[in-house]
Amino acid sequence: MLKKLTVAAGLIATTTTIASAHDEKALMNAPAGEPYVQVSEVLPLPEFIPGLGTLFVDPATLPAGPFLAYDHDGLLSATIYMTPLDDLQNGVSFDDLNLGSHTVSSADVYYNAGHPGVEKPHAHVVLFHDEGAKERLAK
Amino acid sequence: MICTRRQTIWLGGGAIASLAASRSVGAQTVAEVVMRGSARGERVWFDPFGLSVTSGTTIRFTNRDPGNGHTATAYHPDNYDRKRRIPELATPWDSDFLLPDEYFEVTLTVPGVYDYYCLPHEMAAMVGRVVVGTPGDVGWDHSTEDDDDVSDQVLAVLPPVDKVIAEGAVRWEDRS
Repeated sequence: MLKKLTVAAGLIATTTTIASAHDEKALMNAPAGEPYVQVSEVLPLPEFIPGLGTLFVDPATLPAGPFLAYDHDGLLSATIYMTPLDDLQNGVSFDDLNLGSHTVSSADVYYNAGHPGVEKPHAHVVLFHDEGAKERLAK
Repeated sequence: MICTRRQTIWLGGGAIASLAASRSVGAQTVAEVVMRGSARGERVWFDPFGLSVTSGTTIRFTNRDPGNGHTATAYHPDNYDRKRRIPELATPWDSDFLLPDEYFEVTLTVPGVYDYYCLPHEMAAMVGRVVVGTPGDVGWDHSTEDDDDVSDQVLAVLPPVDKVIAEGAVRWEDRS
Protein backbone atom coordinates (compact mmCIF):
# COMPACT_ATOMS: atom_id res chain seq x y z
CA MET A 1 0.00 0.00 0.00
CA LEU A 2 1.30 3.37 -0.86
CA LYS A 3 2.33 5.54 1.95
CA LYS A 4 1.58 9.17 1.58
CA LEU A 5 4.46 11.48 2.20
CA THR A 6 3.43 12.98 5.48
CA VAL A 7 4.77 16.40 6.04
CA ALA A 8 5.22 17.53 9.59
CA ALA A 9 2.53 19.77 10.85
CA GLY A 10 4.84 22.70 11.01
CA LEU A 11 5.50 22.41 7.31
CA ILE A 12 1.92 22.17 6.17
CA ALA A 13 1.79 25.79 5.23
CA THR A 14 4.96 25.43 3.20
CA THR A 15 3.61 22.34 1.49
CA THR A 16 0.51 24.20 0.54
CA THR A 17 2.67 26.83 -1.04
CA ILE A 18 4.64 24.20 -2.93
CA ALA A 19 1.49 22.49 -4.11
CA SER A 20 0.24 25.67 -5.61
CA ALA A 21 3.59 26.38 -7.25
CA HIS A 22 3.17 23.79 -9.97
CA ASP A 23 0.57 21.72 -11.71
CA GLU A 24 1.25 18.24 -10.40
CA LYS A 25 -0.74 16.51 -13.14
CA ALA A 26 1.22 18.32 -15.81
CA LEU A 27 4.42 16.74 -14.53
CA MET A 28 3.17 13.16 -14.45
CA ASN A 29 4.20 12.44 -18.03
CA ALA A 30 7.34 13.31 -19.94
CA PRO A 31 8.34 15.69 -21.22
CA ALA A 32 8.04 18.04 -18.30
CA GLY A 33 7.24 21.48 -19.64
CA GLU A 34 9.08 24.70 -19.04
CA PRO A 35 11.06 25.60 -17.06
CA TYR A 36 12.24 21.99 -17.02
CA VAL A 37 14.79 20.77 -19.58
CA GLN A 38 15.83 17.22 -20.37
CA VAL A 39 19.19 16.70 -18.69
CA SER A 40 20.66 14.57 -21.48
CA GLU A 41 20.02 17.35 -23.97
CA VAL A 42 22.08 19.89 -22.08
CA LEU A 43 24.70 17.72 -20.39
CA PRO A 44 26.88 14.82 -21.59
CA LEU A 45 24.85 12.13 -19.86
CA PRO A 46 22.87 9.16 -21.22
CA GLU A 47 19.22 9.78 -22.09
CA PHE A 48 18.19 7.03 -19.65
CA ILE A 49 20.45 6.65 -16.63
CA PRO A 50 20.16 3.23 -14.97
CA GLY A 51 18.68 3.77 -11.52
CA LEU A 52 17.56 7.32 -12.24
CA GLY A 53 15.66 7.13 -15.53
CA THR A 54 15.21 10.05 -17.89
CA LEU A 55 15.80 13.24 -15.96
CA PHE A 56 14.34 16.70 -16.31
CA VAL A 57 15.38 19.69 -14.21
CA ASP A 58 14.77 23.40 -13.97
CA PRO A 59 18.33 24.78 -14.40
CA ALA A 60 17.57 27.57 -11.95
CA THR A 61 17.26 24.99 -9.17
CA LEU A 62 20.69 23.38 -9.62
CA PRO A 63 22.38 21.65 -7.98
CA ALA A 64 19.65 20.41 -5.63
CA GLY A 65 16.82 20.12 -8.10
CA PRO A 66 14.25 18.59 -7.99
CA PHE A 67 15.20 16.29 -10.84
CA LEU A 68 12.08 14.64 -12.23
CA ALA A 69 12.76 11.01 -13.14
CA TYR A 70 10.66 9.31 -15.81
CA ASP A 71 10.57 5.65 -16.76
CA HIS A 72 10.82 4.26 -20.30
CA ASP A 73 7.11 4.93 -20.84
CA GLY A 74 7.45 8.54 -19.79
CA LEU A 75 5.70 8.12 -16.42
CA LEU A 76 6.96 10.23 -13.54
CA SER A 77 8.49 7.68 -11.18
CA ALA A 78 10.70 9.61 -8.79
CA THR A 79 11.75 13.04 -7.62
CA ILE A 80 15.48 13.32 -6.92
CA TYR A 81 17.52 15.90 -5.03
CA MET A 82 21.29 16.22 -5.31
CA THR A 83 22.99 17.97 -2.41
CA PRO A 84 26.78 18.53 -2.45
CA LEU A 85 28.34 17.25 0.75
CA ASP A 86 30.69 20.16 1.23
CA ASP A 87 27.80 22.60 0.90
CA LEU A 88 25.99 20.77 3.69
CA GLN A 89 29.14 20.72 5.80
CA ASN A 90 29.55 24.44 5.28
CA GLY A 91 26.07 25.16 6.53
CA VAL A 92 24.18 25.42 3.27
CA SER A 93 20.66 24.10 3.56
CA PHE A 94 18.26 23.24 0.78
CA ASP A 95 14.82 24.17 1.97
CA ASP A 96 11.33 24.15 0.52
CA LEU A 97 12.30 22.06 -2.48
CA ASN A 98 9.58 21.28 -4.92
CA LEU A 99 8.05 17.84 -5.54
CA GLY A 100 7.15 16.15 -8.78
CA SER A 101 4.31 14.30 -7.07
CA HIS A 102 3.00 14.42 -3.54
CA THR A 103 2.65 10.64 -3.43
CA VAL A 104 5.79 8.89 -2.20
CA SER A 105 6.09 5.15 -1.61
CA SER A 106 9.71 4.98 -0.42
CA ALA A 107 12.94 6.95 -0.37
CA ASP A 108 16.58 6.08 -1.00
CA VAL A 109 19.53 8.20 0.10
CA TYR A 110 23.02 7.40 -1.08
CA TYR A 111 26.40 8.87 -1.98
CA ASN A 112 27.40 9.82 -5.53
CA ALA A 113 30.94 10.73 -6.51
CA GLY A 114 29.75 13.28 -9.08
CA HIS A 115 28.71 13.52 -12.70
CA PRO A 116 28.37 16.21 -15.35
CA GLY A 117 26.10 18.90 -13.97
CA VAL A 118 26.74 18.14 -10.30
CA GLU A 119 30.45 17.44 -10.18
CA LYS A 120 30.99 17.76 -6.45
CA PRO A 121 30.57 14.59 -4.40
CA HIS A 122 26.96 14.71 -3.26
CA ALA A 123 24.00 12.80 -1.86
CA HIS A 124 21.16 11.53 -4.00
CA VAL A 125 17.81 11.74 -2.22
CA VAL A 126 15.37 9.70 -4.29
CA LEU A 127 11.65 9.83 -3.56
CA PHE A 128 9.87 7.04 -5.46
CA HIS A 129 6.29 7.80 -6.39
CA ASP A 130 4.93 4.24 -6.53
CA GLU A 131 6.02 0.79 -5.46
CA GLY A 132 7.14 -0.29 -8.91
CA ALA A 133 9.09 2.86 -9.64
CA LYS A 134 12.51 1.66 -8.53
CA GLU A 135 12.30 -1.43 -10.73
CA ARG A 136 11.19 0.58 -13.74
CA LEU A 137 14.06 3.02 -13.33
CA ALA A 138 16.65 0.29 -12.74
CA LYS A 139 17.50 -0.27 -16.38
CA MET B 1 31.08 -0.13 -30.55
CA ILE B 2 30.62 3.49 -31.42
CA CYS B 3 33.43 5.36 -33.09
CA THR B 4 33.25 8.83 -31.70
CA ARG B 5 33.81 12.11 -33.43
CA ARG B 6 37.20 12.21 -31.84
CA GLN B 7 40.25 11.42 -33.92
CA THR B 8 43.47 9.70 -33.12
CA ILE B 9 46.21 12.16 -32.25
CA TRP B 10 49.77 11.13 -32.88
CA LEU B 11 51.90 12.62 -30.18
CA GLY B 12 55.39 12.81 -31.58
CA GLY B 13 58.59 14.57 -30.71
CA GLY B 14 59.16 18.18 -31.61
CA ALA B 15 55.63 19.03 -30.52
CA ILE B 16 54.39 17.94 -33.90
CA ALA B 17 50.94 16.46 -33.74
CA SER B 18 49.45 15.23 -36.94
CA LEU B 19 45.86 14.18 -37.08
CA ALA B 20 45.10 10.81 -38.55
CA ALA B 21 41.85 9.06 -39.25
CA SER B 22 40.54 7.56 -36.04
CA ARG B 23 40.50 4.00 -37.31
CA SER B 24 43.82 4.04 -39.16
CA VAL B 25 45.48 2.18 -36.37
CA GLY B 26 47.01 -0.26 -38.81
CA ALA B 27 49.69 -2.35 -37.18
CA GLN B 28 49.80 -0.16 -34.10
CA THR B 29 49.58 -1.85 -30.74
CA VAL B 30 46.37 -0.90 -28.96
CA ALA B 31 46.08 -0.90 -25.18
CA GLU B 32 42.71 -0.57 -23.47
CA VAL B 33 41.79 1.72 -20.60
CA VAL B 34 38.15 1.48 -19.54
CA MET B 35 36.14 4.09 -17.65
CA ARG B 36 34.03 2.39 -15.03
CA GLY B 37 31.58 3.31 -12.30
CA SER B 38 29.62 1.52 -9.61
CA ALA B 39 25.88 1.09 -10.12
CA ARG B 40 24.90 4.16 -8.14
CA GLY B 41 27.95 6.21 -8.99
CA GLU B 42 29.53 5.99 -5.57
CA ARG B 43 32.86 5.18 -7.22
CA VAL B 44 34.34 5.99 -10.62
CA TRP B 45 37.71 4.92 -11.95
CA PHE B 46 40.00 4.15 -14.87
CA ASP B 47 40.75 0.46 -15.36
CA PRO B 48 43.67 0.05 -15.31
CA PHE B 49 44.67 3.34 -13.70
CA GLY B 50 48.33 2.58 -14.22
CA LEU B 51 49.57 1.25 -17.57
CA SER B 52 53.00 0.57 -19.00
CA VAL B 53 53.37 0.58 -22.80
CA THR B 54 56.02 0.83 -25.46
CA SER B 55 56.52 3.92 -27.58
CA GLY B 56 54.01 4.12 -30.38
CA THR B 57 51.23 2.32 -28.53
CA THR B 58 47.70 3.55 -29.12
CA ILE B 59 45.68 3.96 -25.92
CA ARG B 60 41.96 3.40 -26.37
CA PHE B 61 39.80 4.96 -23.66
CA THR B 62 36.31 3.41 -23.62
CA ASN B 63 33.42 4.45 -21.42
CA ARG B 64 31.83 1.30 -19.94
CA ASP B 65 29.94 3.16 -17.26
CA PRO B 66 26.27 2.96 -18.30
CA GLY B 67 25.19 5.84 -16.11
CA ASN B 68 27.80 8.51 -16.54
CA GLY B 69 29.82 10.65 -18.93
CA HIS B 70 33.60 10.63 -18.68
CA THR B 71 36.67 12.21 -20.26
CA ALA B 72 40.34 11.30 -20.51
CA THR B 73 42.12 14.63 -20.31
CA ALA B 74 45.89 15.12 -20.11
CA TYR B 75 47.22 17.44 -17.43
CA HIS B 76 48.55 20.30 -19.52
CA PRO B 77 48.16 24.09 -19.76
CA ASP B 78 46.31 23.64 -23.05
CA ASN B 79 43.60 21.77 -21.16
CA TYR B 80 41.87 24.15 -18.78
CA ASP B 81 45.20 25.77 -17.88
CA ARG B 82 46.36 22.87 -15.76
CA LYS B 83 49.99 22.23 -14.85
CA ARG B 84 51.83 19.92 -17.24
CA ARG B 85 52.10 16.30 -16.15
CA ILE B 86 53.07 14.76 -19.48
CA PRO B 87 56.44 14.90 -21.32
CA GLU B 88 57.34 18.40 -22.42
CA LEU B 89 57.62 17.41 -26.09
CA ALA B 90 54.33 15.55 -26.16
CA THR B 91 51.12 17.14 -27.32
CA PRO B 92 48.22 17.07 -24.88
CA TRP B 93 44.92 15.39 -25.59
CA ASP B 94 41.38 15.82 -24.38
CA SER B 95 38.83 13.19 -25.35
CA ASP B 96 35.87 15.48 -24.68
CA PHE B 97 32.92 13.76 -23.04
CA LEU B 98 32.40 10.11 -23.89
CA LEU B 99 28.93 8.67 -23.42
CA PRO B 100 28.53 4.94 -22.64
CA ASP B 101 30.29 2.73 -25.21
CA GLU B 102 32.01 5.62 -26.94
CA TYR B 103 35.77 5.60 -27.16
CA PHE B 104 38.74 7.80 -27.91
CA GLU B 105 42.19 6.84 -29.09
CA VAL B 106 45.54 8.54 -28.69
CA THR B 107 48.99 7.30 -29.74
CA LEU B 108 51.90 8.10 -27.45
CA THR B 109 55.44 8.15 -28.77
CA VAL B 110 57.54 10.32 -26.44
CA PRO B 111 59.01 8.14 -23.66
CA GLY B 112 57.98 9.29 -20.24
CA VAL B 113 55.10 9.67 -17.82
CA TYR B 114 51.63 10.83 -18.81
CA ASP B 115 49.06 11.71 -16.14
CA TYR B 116 45.45 12.35 -17.06
CA TYR B 117 42.11 12.83 -15.37
CA CYS B 118 38.38 12.69 -15.91
CA LEU B 119 37.08 16.24 -16.15
CA PRO B 120 33.88 15.84 -14.09
CA HIS B 121 35.42 13.32 -11.70
CA GLU B 122 38.81 14.69 -10.73
CA MET B 123 37.35 15.58 -7.33
CA ALA B 124 36.60 11.88 -6.96
CA ALA B 125 40.27 11.18 -7.82
CA MET B 126 39.41 9.54 -11.14
CA VAL B 127 42.89 9.84 -12.61
CA GLY B 128 45.34 7.62 -14.40
CA ARG B 129 48.96 7.28 -15.44
CA VAL B 130 50.49 5.87 -18.60
CA VAL B 131 54.22 5.15 -18.62
CA VAL B 132 55.73 5.01 -22.10
CA GLY B 133 59.02 3.09 -22.26
CA THR B 134 61.44 3.08 -19.34
CA PRO B 135 63.71 5.63 -17.68
CA GLY B 136 66.67 4.39 -19.73
CA ASP B 137 65.08 5.27 -23.07
CA VAL B 138 66.45 8.12 -25.15
CA GLY B 139 64.27 11.16 -24.59
CA TRP B 140 62.68 9.83 -21.40
CA ASP B 141 60.84 12.67 -19.70
CA HIS B 142 59.29 12.64 -16.25
CA SER B 143 59.64 16.35 -15.76
CA THR B 144 56.17 16.98 -14.43
CA GLU B 145 55.71 20.40 -12.98
CA ASP B 146 55.02 20.98 -9.31
CA ASP B 147 52.26 19.14 -7.50
CA ASP B 148 50.43 22.22 -6.24
CA ASP B 149 47.87 21.93 -9.03
CA VAL B 150 46.47 18.58 -7.94
CA SER B 151 44.92 17.40 -4.71
CA ASP B 152 46.49 15.04 -2.22
CA GLN B 153 43.81 12.52 -3.15
CA VAL B 154 44.91 12.62 -6.79
CA LEU B 155 48.57 12.23 -5.87
CA ALA B 156 47.68 9.28 -3.65
CA VAL B 157 45.97 7.47 -6.52
CA LEU B 158 48.67 7.95 -9.17
CA PRO B 159 50.78 4.78 -8.96
CA PRO B 160 54.58 4.98 -8.70
CA VAL B 161 56.36 4.73 -12.04
CA ASP B 162 58.43 1.71 -11.02
CA LYS B 163 55.30 -0.13 -9.89
CA VAL B 164 53.58 0.55 -13.21
CA ILE B 165 56.58 -0.69 -15.16
CA ALA B 166 56.99 -3.75 -12.97
CA GLU B 167 53.34 -4.78 -13.10
CA GLY B 168 52.44 -3.63 -16.59
CA ALA B 169 48.95 -2.69 -15.51
CA VAL B 170 47.78 -1.47 -12.10
CA ARG B 171 44.13 -2.04 -11.24
CA TRP B 172 41.82 -1.62 -8.29
CA GLU B 173 41.15 -4.95 -6.63
CA ASP B 174 37.39 -4.63 -6.68
CA ARG B 175 35.54 -1.38 -6.95
CA SER B 176 32.21 -2.52 -8.38
